[in-house]
Amino acid sequence: MTPGRTQQYLVIAWAWSCAVILVSAVSAVIGFLLVRGAGALNLELIFGHTAALDAVLLRRPVFGGLFPAIVGTLLLVLLSVAIALPVGLATGIYLAEYAQGRIRSLLGLIFDVLAGIPSIVIGLFGFSLAIFLHQRLSGRIYPCLLISSLSLAFLVLPYLIRSTQAALESLPFKHRITAPALGATRLQNIRHVLLPRAMQNIAGGIVLAIGRCAEDTAVIMLTGAVATAGVPKGVLGHFEALPFFIYYISSQYADPAELSQGYGAAIILLIICLMLFGLNKVAQKVVAARLYTNVAKKRWQKNGP
Amino acid sequence: MLCFAAGGWCGALDAFNGETGTIRISGGTAHIPVMKEAAARIMSSHPDIQISIAGGGSGVGIKQVGEGLVDIGNSGRSPSDEEVHKYGLKMFKWAVDGVGVVVNPKNPVQSLTTAQLKDIFAGTLTNWRQVGGSDKGINLYTRDEASGTREVFWKKALAKGDITPTANVVPSNGAMKTAVANDPWGIGFVSVGHIDATVAPVALNGVVPTLDTVRQGTYKVARGLYSNTKGAPTGLVQKFIDYLFSPEGQEIAADKGFIGIK
Amino acid sequence: MSRETIAHTVFSSAAWLSAACTLMVFGFMAVLGYPILRDGLLWDMLSGPWSPMHQSYGIRPMIAGTLWIAFFGLMLAAPLSLGCAVLIQVVAPRGFGRLLHNVVHWMTGIPTVVYGFVGIFLLVPLVRQIFGHGSGLCALTAALMLAVLVAPTMILFFVQGLSQVPRSYLTAAAALGATPIQRLIYIMLPNAWRTLSAGLVLAFGRAVGDTMIALMLAGNAVALPHSVLDSARTLPAHIALVIAADFDSPEFRGLFLCGLILYLFTLTASLAVRCTVTSGRQRP
Repeated sequence: MTPGRTQQYLVIAWAWSCAVILVSAVSAVIGFLLVRGAGALNLELIFGHTAALDAVLLRRPVFGGLFPAIVGTLLLVLLSVAIALPVGLATGIYLAEYAQGRIRSLLGLIFDVLAGIPSIVIGLFGFSLAIFLHQRLSGRIYPCLLISSLSLAFLVLPYLIRSTQAALESLPFKHRITAPALGATRLQNIRHVLLPRAMQNIAGGIVLAIGRCAEDTAVIMLTGAVATAGVPKGVLGHFEALPFFIYYISSQYADPAELSQGYGAAIILLIICLMLFGLNKVAQKVVAARLYTNVAKKRWQKNGP
Repeated sequence: MLCFAAGGWCGALDAFNGETGTIRISGGTAHIPVMKEAAARIMSSHPDIQISIAGGGSGVGIKQVGEGLVDIGNSGRSPSDEEVHKYGLKMFKWAVDGVGVVVNPKNPVQSLTTAQLKDIFAGTLTNWRQVGGSDKGINLYTRDEASGTREVFWKKALAKGDITPTANVVPSNGAMKTAVANDPWGIGFVSVGHIDATVAPVALNGVVPTLDTVRQGTYKVARGLYSNTKGAPTGLVQKFIDYLFSPEGQEIAADKGFIGIK
Repeated sequence: MSRETIAHTVFSSAAWLSAACTLMVFGFMAVLGYPILRDGLLWDMLSGPWSPMHQSYGIRPMIAGTLWIAFFGLMLAAPLSLGCAVLIQVVAPRGFGRLLHNVVHWMTGIPTVVYGFVGIFLLVPLVRQIFGHGSGLCALTAALMLAVLVAPTMILFFVQGLSQVPRSYLTAAAALGATPIQRLIYIMLPNAWRTLSAGLVLAFGRAVGDTMIALMLAGNAVALPHSVLDSARTLPAHIALVIAADFDSPEFRGLFLCGLILYLFTLTASLAVRCTVTSGRQRP
């Protein structure tokens, strides 16, 4: 029996109500946060009672402000992406360009599994790695910024691998045969033809990885994030981080002032993550434009008009 | 600036002059306010020193300091002989605290007997009506097994009675306070030093858990606040422990709601 | 060695290093959890209650809690996501649908801990008030927030699935007079069911592996949950709470068992998705 008009209208009504429910849910979440927390957004939220300039230049420590947590998150992101990027990029290139048949599906499966591992398991792994190194290698190693970054690198590796692989594989076939037909080696083709064109999609993966590092709590909770640590002075020390601060404050704020700090922190983290997302789209366009003009410019200079 | 405000108590902080390095502290969550304040004072006058503070509970503090992962492990219960022997711990008790039962300020129930408390936490008494309150289910909050506060509560207030597995579990004293403050029908236990206007203390067998009753000894559910180190403390860590025992340190402890040992 | 060979070696070592990472995680879990097997505690751990005071380190309540909360979250999120995907792809593809698509894209960027934070202060009192009893910290609250968390990714997956149906089918049906909804029901859904079920499985995997929402909203009681209004604890929350224990104790070893279970679960989910999707591609 074909669905009559009423049934079709029911489907449409259902679709619309789902959309309405979803949009109201997310507006409730964000709206609640903004309403309760907008009042907390000021310099004191970030720097406590220390002067902003002194804090940023690390002349004086900040107490009761988010600055150490923000710096901690920043360092975490930088370190993790620095570790994961070369490995992820190279792996993606290998999968897209060199691997064949069985090896390719095996590796593909392994990386799908890696992508699915819950963050808490990776955190547990990082923690036990730290203990292992502490007991076997050096008593100076314990859960710290370095271990956290390493664990986060594990977490975001699949994003980088996937986006590099997908970016390279989605390039038109002609790019793989034109330059080699003119004598370029595989490596030269990858470096001068494929990578520049795939860069915009790879950049998308990088931004995703950055976002993931900034927001993750489960991994850092187990590998070195603490309630109070000041600005980290080295990679082998405890550190504070924004998402951990939010979690910590949510369950144990001592007074309404601390609670509003929590709201402020949540808003800041939300803004950072959403901005990264928007940055993604902008970056893609910018990277594409620049690389194309650079590539064209170089060819022009080398070979003449 | 803090030195000026504290008047002549600068002396204790002077001990840190010329020191650099890091102190890693973890463990008992009741100690955290005191640790934070002490760290803030030390770090503002001596920016080369870095102190990091983590929570986790007394169990965490003891284990981590024993394994060498932190320099000072705080605990709200005295480490057992087994733990002292296994890790070679040195214990320093710098304050006395109590563990009090708390309910939401909106709750009319202000007093309980040990028998009632045992039944509530065992899960046999499930409605506030049964202890003189409104007709609402009792929401239990307890701590995880690493908690020294929980251990003291279980031993002394509950007389080793069972805690029902259906109770909500919160990870720290601060979290317990927040949970009970937000739940009109909740009941939990928290360090006496943490009790403020957001929660209402419950008298146990007629004795209200306050600083005074703990000090006088009339409120029996008391425990010491310990900072433990692996072996005798040296250098910066030794100075920090000394600071806790100094008049300034004891003043901080009293300020945060504990009873100084001196 | 020529540049080519060096490059090849570098790339392949990177790939095998990444693969090694995956296996290392499994290895650590297995090796550190091995004493449980060796001491014969495995069955007790998988089936008993959690009561360290009585020497019982069973994680069965946590396994149950994980499955309940994830299942509930999915039950709430799946119809919602399908509805939104239908709207984006079929009902309003050019107007509101595009807007919704962008909104959903942005939603995937919202951090989990923010959801948990808002859940504590908005959802928990709400649930407590609506049901009149209980603390509001329960499986239902966690499941509701979880649904909002996984819905965006599921929607994007569903939209992709619906959009990959061959155009020729749709044009043929349109030529025969089918309305968009009829095309949806008769052509798109049957053809896309593989991707749709893959999306479901992936979302389930994500729901099972999430730590913060359950940790902050579900109450963390150690008892087996019997209703949605019971306080429950999931495996990830359990790991986060018990990480404090003594390194040689069964409690701590039990954590690696938890980790192993989670790992194996997501492994199965990944395999299932792969099989569904590949077998779909092999069809003529």
